[in-house]
Amino acid sequence: MAFDPQLTSMIVPLEEVARIEDVLTRLVDETGGNHSLLLDKSGQVIASRGDANRQDTTALGALIAGTFASSREVAKLLREKEFKMLFQQGVRENLFIALIGDQWILTIIFNKETHIGLVKVLVKKASEELLGVLGRVRQNRRMRDDVLGGNFRTSMEDTIDLLFRD
Amino acid sequence: MALINVAAREIHCKIVYYGPGMGGKTTNLQYIHSQIPQTTKTDLLSIATETERTLFFDFLPLDLGKVRGFQTRFHLYTVPGQVLYDRTRVAVLSGADGVVFVADSRRDKLEENVNSLKELARNVQKMGKRFQDFPLVLQYNKRDLPNALSVPIMDKYLNPLHWTRCEASATTGAGVFDTLRVISKLVIGKL
Repeated sequence: MAFDPQLTSMIVPLEEVARIEDVLTRLVDETGGNHSLLLDKSGQVIASRGDANRQDTTALGALIAGTFASSREVAKLLREKEFKMLFQQGVRENLFIALIGDQWILTIIFNKETHIGLVKVLVKKASEELLGVLGRVRQNRRMRDDVLGGNFRTSMEDTIDLLFRD
Repeated sequence: MALINVAAREIHCKIVYYGPGMGGKTTNLQYIHSQIPQTTKTDLLSIATETERTLFFDFLPLDLGKVRGFQTRFHLYTVPGQVLYDRTRVAVLSGADGVVFVADSRRDKLEENVNSLKELARNVQKMGKRFQDFPLVLQYNKRDLPNALSVPIMDKYLNPLHWTRCEASATTGAGVFDTLRVISKLVIGKL
């Protein structure tokens, strides 16, 4: 079944999150990298593995997704379909970013001890596995109420009324 | 699109403040950031020029705490308003669950508002979504200014689809939380 763009939420089930975390952990271990993140293209962090002290993943997610979205527009101006990978080189840390099936963004942070060639090969391998996960998540037809419970919306509205006021 | 992570029991939603330049999008986020309880907010992140115009986006993550066992996060973004930055707006809009259209009520800004709203409709359609079904709230900002257009005139040009609209003055904070409440509920309703 084709992916329906009108769907407003993507539900990532327990077992798929575990698989994603396995892939990220392996990627960090095998590359000797510091941290790996899987983001939705909207900038939300789906999973994050590596340096447990990292407190800034939410901001990182927003900025990396912004970088990727911006590069997509650059690609269009160059009449290129898209840039599948991005590499940002720092003095201490480097960032390698790969697009997973037009929906997710895989990021690995690593230092100069790790060779970029190795990162590319292992990211490609990880991307293929994550593409499989994405395919299954998109097929997931579980209803929102099965996951959140029927009263979720009312409770959420009460919380919104409580918090968002002058 | 909203993301429901069953393992981490988290829900993430993305709301984008859209509209013409100097309309008060960033001011909306700054006011929310200044008023929200410490437990709910984190830092407001801005990618702006030296003259404080938004270059790429502002980003404010809000943590609403646990609702029925799910940690709920709203990520608020603004786009740069200047006409030149259409491509940047497309980039920030990517994956948005809802939009607050911040219209500038000043008399000489009507045309800019209309053009910006038309552009938004195009950009939402480019994401493969039907604009008429997309969660959207209109905010008529700068109501406190003496040259503000009347609400019926603004409705005539900006609100043919009868979205909920809020009158606001983002510098004083009037209407800012009303707007946020309405868009939040719309987005949650579409989960």
